[in-house]
Amino acid sequence: MGKLEKIQYRPISVRDLLVEMKDMSELMIDLAYSSALFNSRELAEEVLELERCVDSLAYLLDMNAMIAARDAEDAESLVGVSVVASAIDKISDAAGDISAIVLRNIGIHPLVRKVFEKVEERLTRVEIRPDSILVGRKRKDLKLASRIGANIIAIRRGKEWIINPGDEETLLKGDILIARGAPLGIEELRQVAEGTLKSWRNRRGAKRRTV
Amino acid sequence: MAQNEEQFRPLIDKMAELKDTSELMIDLAYSSLLLNSRELAEEVQALENRMDDLHTEFELLVLSRCITPEQSKDYLGLIRLGLVAENIADAAAQIADVVLRGLKPHPVLRLAIREAEETVARVTVSGTSVLIGRNLQEAQIHEETGMWVLAVRRGDAWLRPKPDVVIKEGDTLIAAGYSGGVEDLKQLASGKSSPT
Repeated sequence: MGKLEKIQYRPISVRDLLVEMKDMSELMIDLAYSSALFNSRELAEEVLELERCVDSLAYLLDMNAMIAARDAEDAESLVGVSVVASAIDKISDAAGDISAIVLRNIGIHPLVRKVFEKVEERLTRVEIRPDSILVGRKRKDLKLASRIGANIIAIRRGKEWIINPGDEETLLKGDILIARGAPLGIEELRQVAEGTLKSWRNRRGAKRRTV
Repeated sequence: MAQNEEQFRPLIDKMAELKDTSELMIDLAYSSLLLNSRELAEEVQALENRMDDLHTEFELLVLSRCITPEQSKDYLGLIRLGLVAENIADAAAQIADVVLRGLKPHPVLRLAIREAEETVARVTVSGTSVLIGRNLQEAQIHEETGMWVLAVRRGDAWLRPKPDVVIKEGDTLIAAGYSGGVEDLKQLASGKSSPT
């Protein structure tokens, strides 16, 4: 168990906090189910990392909401914000519970895994090594969707999370990428990020139908 | 092994239903808040009751397997997954509650949930619609109308809008988007126009 982060009031907009918590909780659910179904400890660890972030943000949100309320009317409309934030916190805790199934070696019946593996797209976690061709590239220039049928849905940079990164986001060495896509594409992304593959394989249009 | 898989099927189907229902509830709960819609919030509550039934059925299915000590951990994992889906459903119900209690949603909520979407529409797919027999991916509803399908209601069942859901006559589509798209969606569902 890691030490709990000390929480100190910082003025942040309630809206920004809520957006961040919501995005994180959604990512956590996806990551957590993937970690359970593919028995991936590394994905489960990322879920716990996110859970700690959401917990801290929940405190900050409550503090900022309290300060924002000036009268009874404010309080009535802000209590909804606080209820929703606590529901989001609950969702993130639920995701944490899923990852605990993996981290405590409880496991999921292999037949369930077999069935889900057929239908669910894979999520994966890859780290960008310093000698990867991804370093310094913008997300949009990689054209991952058309090239390998995969998508980067989040980037962790140290303690900072960038969820649904924009086109202009530049990838740095040491970034942890969370990506979604077909198993072959995901494998190729892993090799490129780890620097074992120095250029993309030329597969014609993957198996995506053209629009 | 194949026979084993056959016997296991009901358990897997039930688990998938639990997971899908809980996720659908989250989507609908956020939408109810965004649109301050009691109707959607009540659907979330109805689904919460359904979840309770589903969860019980699921647990009974797990318990009625004859489990050897070596298998017990695998089955514990399943029980835990069921609990998680139940907790997620509770969280969704909590969100819908804000609407049902008549608390005027703070503008921040609307802004945080989705920035621009303004309206929700429910349309019923008529027998002459071009959508019938197409799955959601083929139907290209977003491309045609700018509306996102949030859920498909078929009789008493709610379906998550997965790409492979095939649209049938009588389905009700619940979709959110710019108000300008509502008319296009109605036409698509009634069959007066076909996607170009």
